[in-house]
Amino acid sequence: MATNLLLVAGIVFVGLALAGSIAWYGRLSVIPAYLVLGILIGPAGPTVGGVSLSLVRPGEFIDLFAELGIVFLLFFIGVEFSVATLAAKPRRLLRAGGVDLVVNVALGVVLGLAFGFTLFESLFIAGIVYPSSSAVITKSLVDLGWIADPESEAIMGVLVTEDIVMAVYIAVLAGIAIGGAPEALLYHLGQAGVLLIALALLATVGRESLARVLDISSDELFLLRIVGITVFLGGAALSVGVSEAVAAFFVGAAVSETRHKDRIERVLAPARDLFAAVFFFAIGLGTDPRAVFDAGTLLVAAIGLGIVGKSLSGYLGGRAYDLAPRRSIRMALAMITRGEFSLVVAAVAATASGRLAAEIPAFAVGYVLIMSILGTILMRYSASFERRLTG
Amino acid sequence: MTVYESDLPGVGRKYELETGDGRLVVIIHHDGLREVYRRESPDADAQKLFEVSVDRARQLAAVLQGTDFETVDVGALSAPLGEAIIEWREVAADSPYAGRTLGQADLRRETGVSVIAIQRAGETHPNPSADFTIQEGDILVTLGTREEQAALDDTVD
Repeated sequence: MATNLLLVAGIVFVGLALAGSIAWYGRLSVIPAYLVLGILIGPAGPTVGGVSLSLVRPGEFIDLFAELGIVFLLFFIGVEFSVATLAAKPRRLLRAGGVDLVVNVALGVVLGLAFGFTLFESLFIAGIVYPSSSAVITKSLVDLGWIADPESEAIMGVLVTEDIVMAVYIAVLAGIAIGGAPEALLYHLGQAGVLLIALALLATVGRESLARVLDISSDELFLLRIVGITVFLGGAALSVGVSEAVAAFFVGAAVSETRHKDRIERVLAPARDLFAAVFFFAIGLGTDPRAVFDAGTLLVAAIGLGIVGKSLSGYLGGRAYDLAPRRSIRMALAMITRGEFSLVVAAVAATASGRLAAEIPAFAVGYVLIMSILGTILMRYSASFERRLTG
Repeated sequence: MTVYESDLPGVGRKYELETGDGRLVVIIHHDGLREVYRRESPDADAQKLFEVSVDRARQLAAVLQGTDFETVDVGALSAPLGEAIIEWREVAADSPYAGRTLGQADLRRETGVSVIAIQRAGETHPNPSADFTIQEGDILVTLGTREEQAALDDTVD
């Protein structure tokens, strides 16, 4: 067990660098690699040949970095949230996104109820089962060259609809999870409502003032200003019971329609990558592998339903988007990948109490581990599915 | 020709150009990378042709546009300005003016032209003062009549 904080940080980053490289060479997503690293060198780490791998405990440094990871992940989802994409083919997108939402949320809720969870807990399970991973899928689309084909437009469009649904979803779930008692809950929801309206105003009428604040030639000051605004508003949101993730999403959406969009991508992406890596690591760190195995039957059922649900909604969504059957099959396979959003929901669940905190995060980790790897591989072998299914 | 443009959230922008036999698809990434694909028919998968950086893409665009890439013959450039014309002239290594200041060279008295700017290493120094030292490789931008410019031609080399 390392004693000084810097050494702990060093161990974490060396580990992340190694895990990331292994995933890179295996042409897989880095997210499962970071999760596994967290499990291996965390408190529940195994002992190999008499030497315990357990080197790192959750602590303030990791907690803060992980929090910043959530903030910047959601900030970037906001930045990449494209009104133009939603507006380009609204009717087709509404159908494709609608099928995706209805099928997968319904399956998630039914799954939770069938395993004896309350409706509220089942909504968390739905929040983990429903969203596909924008980060992993987008990278695969570029790697496989699908990015230039019509299905990528449909896939990314549906991912954007998921982003907006999840922003609202997390706002509500986190509000209730943090809120606690009914009378306090009402008070919190009031505060949350005020803050959300303020953020929505920032994203609409305040956009130009925000853009002016960022008019600065030095990249360094630009970085500090945007980080300052985002983290401050995230923290302020948290103190009134609004999810910091949702606040960050709104700030990102506010700046995405300004002239600074490309610069933000360029200047802030490294900060996001750094903090997000620690976030995924921290989720793994807080996971006891035994808890993942305890969630075994739920996990197997969720994986089965997760594959069936997304294949179905992806295929139907593709057809609703006027894609040819072969391209709709690609969409079905692509949408299976889950990732960052499911883990953000898990992080929210971990702040609650009871079964929510005890069982759901471990379930989410197991689910994302399997689904992120499986989805990437299925996309890679999509050609043989296309041949077999379309003749 | 129709160009279809669309947002690719998290990646950049996509442009599709209709060509005679199919479509060219250009992806411009946020980091500046450009990928160019070709799709032969609506059903076919796009095949990646090449990828280029921003700078290379600009050069390529200039070539495709038909911009002439031959080295500019600075001696042959001139612009009409009433009686007077502006000419660009490179200072050779063996020029009598190389190493002397504008004041020492006193081109106006020698030839009648006025030096309105000096270009050095891609930078333009407008309205240079008398203590500006002329160097080999400098390009003198001079204003004068045709005769005056001819007189300069005789002395500068």
